[in-house]
Amino acid sequence: MSVFANTLDRAPLGAEVPSAPPLRPAGRQPTGRAGASASLEGVSFSFASDRVAIETTSLHVEAGEFVCLVGPSGSGKSTILNLLAGLLAPSAGRVLEDGAPIAGPSPARAVVFQDAALFPWLTLQQNVEYPLALQGVPKAERAARSAELLRTVHLLRFAASYPHQLSGGMRQRGAIARALATDPKVLLMDEPFAALDAQTREILQGEVERLFLETRKTIVFVTHNVREAVRLADRVVLMGTRPGRVLREVPIALERPRRTGDASDARVHAYAAELAAGIRDEVEKIAKEEADDAWVAPGGGVRVDPRRNLGSGI
Amino acid sequence: MLLRAIVTSVLRLGLGYGVALVGGVLLGVGLARSRALKELAGPLVLGLSAVPSICWLPLAILWFGLSELAIQVVVILGAVLPIAVATESAVAQVPPQLVRAARTMGARGPRLLYGVILPAAFPGILSGAKLGWTFALRSLMAGELLFVSGGLGQLLETGRDLGDTALVLGVVVLIVALGRLSDVLLFRRFELEVSRRWGTEAAS
Repeated sequence: MSVFANTLDRAPLGAEVPSAPPLRPAGRQPTGRAGASASLEGVSFSFASDRVAIETTSLHVEAGEFVCLVGPSGSGKSTILNLLAGLLAPSAGRVLEDGAPIAGPSPARAVVFQDAALFPWLTLQQNVEYPLALQGVPKAERAARSAELLRTVHLLRFAASYPHQLSGGMRQRGAIARALATDPKVLLMDEPFAALDAQTREILQGEVERLFLETRKTIVFVTHNVREAVRLADRVVLMGTRPGRVLREVPIALERPRRTGDASDARVHAYAAELAAGIRDEVEKIAKEEADDAWVAPGGGVRVDPRRNLGSGI
Repeated sequence: MLLRAIVTSVLRLGLGYGVALVGGVLLGVGLARSRALKELAGPLVLGLSAVPSICWLPLAILWFGLSELAIQVVVILGAVLPIAVATESAVAQVPPQLVRAARTMGARGPRLLYGVILPAAFPGILSGAKLGWTFALRSLMAGELLFVSGGLGQLLETGRDLGDTALVLGVVVLIVALGRLSDVLLFRRFELEVSRRWGTEAAS
């Protein structure tokens, strides 16, 4: 435990830490390229419908840092991820990778989507090989690389299965393997575990952290789950809504690897409570707008319909 | 005479349907992917697909005379529009998430189209192709009935002229068998493959 604490003290968050063997399990070399930094500088983005998704937002993610974006729906978390992926272009401001403007999607920044987005007509192995085939990697090399990646996510046995034959958690692991295939510098994860059951979710959180420690890639992870953010991130960015913007950034000073249910749990809880409090006002703001006059403040006791329509709550 | 009629009809069908399939898929993809083409030709395609293809026969005969080409025009026009409409909706309904995922991996332009959009739309295109086949067969029979040119349709007409009910019914049974056989030979394989990969129930 103290070893990890020292390491974190010595190295600035997310910097390359070649002198930190404890971070990598013995006998394992860091696989592939390490992370790149990513940042938004005064970025605004509006959809064609004039709905402002995010307004003059700045955010800097260090190379090799694990950042979680947390916020209610409508806070522009996914928009920021799509901007970093290059799938969207900012209406104003600049989006940078290692200081250079991002012009469009690139295999150097891989995305894991909430619904995995594996191609249903390809086997798991073919799915993982797809980005390599796009880059013109020869067949034999693709096969070797996909086998290695599938072993990393414990799915080698299912290489010949089609996505519909896999469980939600397996599909998501497959999507992670596919994202790692091109050895990206930045891994963008858009609520990847939102649709999974609690147990699977916990297992996958552990796996993502393991991959992070092994590869030292920069990870930007979007979630609406505060505990998940605290479990995973070096730093949690709290997003507000209408318009989307950064409310607060909370560094998580917990040593890695983290475990649920051990001594750090109380501290995880403290962080989560702090973040949840920050988010509550925002959630209420939205709920009020959406519910209109049917909204009753929590703890208000009796639910009163201001229009006095009997039975309207049924 | 019977054998020659079958061969004539099958050859016509193969040629006309082949042209219609290629044209229909191209047109459908174009309609789904190009806003300009959609605005230009979209309403026209929908409107024309309501026209029974046999209605083109008089025009085809005026333009091309009593030729093979005239009957091909009817077959092609009968099949191409349903295939185009089905392809368009299949391409338009490709989950955007798949396209987005492919783009983040560096797929663009033709590689995105051939590698992701067309495979993803394949089940829909396949049912369009199947629909087009039955339309082509119907158009061909109607065309051959009205237009002395050999083939199964004309054989039906001959049966009527001779008052030979057995011949007429025999040809009908033959057409049923032809439809069924083509279904098994042409489409079954692809349908089974789709259901194996997508995990959907195979149609019988």
